[in-house]
Amino acid sequence: MFVSRRRLLTATSALAAVASMGFPGRARAAGTIKIGFTTALTGPFNEFGEGYKRGIELAIEKINKAGGVLGKQIEIGMMLDDQLIPDRAVQNMRRVLDNKDIVGLFCPSGSGPTLAVVDMIAADGRPTMNPQAQTPTVIYPGGPGTKPRPNVYTFSIQNDIEANFLASILAKKFNRIGLLNESTGYGKTGGELIKAGIMRLKSDAVVTHESYNQKDQDMTAQLVRVQRARSEALMVVGLGADMAVIRKNMLRMNMTTPLYVSAGGFSPPYVEGVGDLAAGTMGSQFRKIAAKAPAPEVVEFLNAYKAKHGTDRLWGSDPQIPSPSMGGTVATGFDGMMVMADAWRRAGSTDPAATIKALDATKGFVGVNCTYEFTPDKHHAIEVGDLATYEYAKIDGRLMLVQTSL
Amino acid sequence: MEDFLTLLLAGISVGAVYGLIAIGLNLTFWTTKTMNFGQGSVMMLCAMLTATMIARGWPQVLSILAALAVIVVLMVFTETYTVRPALKIEGSMGWAVSTLGVGIVLQGFASLWFGSQALAFPDIIFSAIDDVVVFGVHVSLQYIAVLILALALVVVFELLVRGTVWGRAMRAVSMDADLASVIGIPVRVVVLGSYIASGVLAGVSGILVAQIGGTVDPAFGFELVIFGFVAAVLGGMGSTTGALAGGIVAGVLQQMVGGYISSAAQHGMAFALLILILVVRPQGLFGQREIVKV
Repeated sequence: MFVSRRRLLTATSALAAVASMGFPGRARAAGTIKIGFTTALTGPFNEFGEGYKRGIELAIEKINKAGGVLGKQIEIGMMLDDQLIPDRAVQNMRRVLDNKDIVGLFCPSGSGPTLAVVDMIAADGRPTMNPQAQTPTVIYPGGPGTKPRPNVYTFSIQNDIEANFLASILAKKFNRIGLLNESTGYGKTGGELIKAGIMRLKSDAVVTHESYNQKDQDMTAQLVRVQRARSEALMVVGLGADMAVIRKNMLRMNMTTPLYVSAGGFSPPYVEGVGDLAAGTMGSQFRKIAAKAPAPEVVEFLNAYKAKHGTDRLWGSDPQIPSPSMGGTVATGFDGMMVMADAWRRAGSTDPAATIKALDATKGFVGVNCTYEFTPDKHHAIEVGDLATYEYAKIDGRLMLVQTSL
Repeated sequence: MEDFLTLLLAGISVGAVYGLIAIGLNLTFWTTKTMNFGQGSVMMLCAMLTATMIARGWPQVLSILAALAVIVVLMVFTETYTVRPALKIEGSMGWAVSTLGVGIVLQGFASLWFGSQALAFPDIIFSAIDDVVVFGVHVSLQYIAVLILALALVVVFELLVRGTVWGRAMRAVSMDADLASVIGIPVRVVVLGSYIASGVLAGVSGILVAQIGGTVDPAFGFELVIFGFVAAVLGGMGSTTGALAGGIVAGVLQQMVGGYISSAAQHGMAFALLILILVVRPQGLFGQREIVKV
């Protein structure tokens, strides 16, 4: 078949125009409560965006099945893809904010994109849930312990909380520690806070602090510096795909130092990238979701997930117990949506001011990851007690993530 | 000493791959004064196809050959439909946009076909834990394999260019395409061949780098092409030896700066080198100063 170049160009232009429209979400229905967000639905870190989208969808299905909120059904009014790229997140969030039908917002996945949009969100004033960005300044612009942005609430593990948790483990066991973080907002704050935490607990500890860029294919230089400092353990703050590169690089250098990773690194791409070589890797993750005897609300959430998506890559290799990374990829979106709907219910309205007032009065709301409590001065919920240490171990020929702190 | 050797070997191995990419860029620069800015996506596609076919149970060698065959077809398309039409307009830089466009479309298709998450790239011949001990230093067999393969490819390529009729034809086209056409050299076929060879080198580079990193995703390759470009300019555009030397210098310098000065300065090093060479010796280490008679 002959296709003229002009026709080919026209088709390509049309395709590009359609692609640039992103994912417009579902068709709008009258009389619904609409939420909107931009997240990493595609790209190398899409386990986060796809995960929290699934969490939101599960929550919406649960709420709508029970009759909705204020007599209305909830729907995703706008859902755009930013691939974890800050510039794209800004463009997308602008479009979301321009849609005045949307009454509830969610931050993008990751600290970089979220930090890029959070001032726009704060200026806009609509209530916003932050499912995954860990940098404390997303919520507390002046740092942990200062006044939060009035309309932004976090459901992720804040870096300062995780840093305290990991620093206490590392300082207890080791004197010389290698610390490697990705050069993003998440990685930099995480690395600095862990280092500060270790030094606070053990002032004579030797911490060798290095950084890398996301998607680097070779980390030899950083690992040589850690090795040269005679570090007894390596702590990495980063995401799963990069963690796989680091682990392989360590093995290639015959580096047998114990490896600790942050919650972001305990994600599916890590095991997919290194397979059984992940055995022995330790780190922090959500405690409740992978407990041996899970709470009823966790069981309900997991059953709903299994019924809709099966035991897929986000679930992990054990059909009975999910990977704790589901707490960060899926459950934070679920909990965020449930808490927002609860606030609308208590406020009797979706008006931003009334919703924020209700959110600030959230108390004892039992979620999948923790029991939520917000006040005008405290917009985070996950604390050190909601985390556990895990280790990859080979059990019955299968690689499993085992909770080691009970 | 152990640190130095580890950094040196990693730098030479990664640098040799930069060199391969640079040679691929040089090839099309010779024949058409164009470069394929979608080269990173070619690397990505070849690595992703290879990983997918091996994961589906195909033999490794067959998977690599099949992936390279797809790349050959792709390069025929790229040259025929995106570069050649742009070159019909005197002085046009349309080829830069169109080759970049092909790269972006390939990224989109890869996301659609393979998913956008990182795919695990299987160990070929050696795994990350295979090593040999040389003078008490553990040396990764993966690095050695990458280095040997890259060097062998450069040698074979150089022999082909210098010792075969097609190689001589390519050099003739690079000097004066019109004159080459007058004396009966099929310029169009030579140009097409240069694009195919460039794509194959990019594909092999993609497989070699994916082997080191262990994963490959649709965004893979973009940064590597930039380093390949730095290697090409550093060595001197058009010089095969220069491309390899430029790649190895860039790779080793990156590792040494990262290992002994600062890992944060590692990436900027290649670009600092690029600026320096453009200021001090614009023709590159092995390039010849171009003299134009006016």
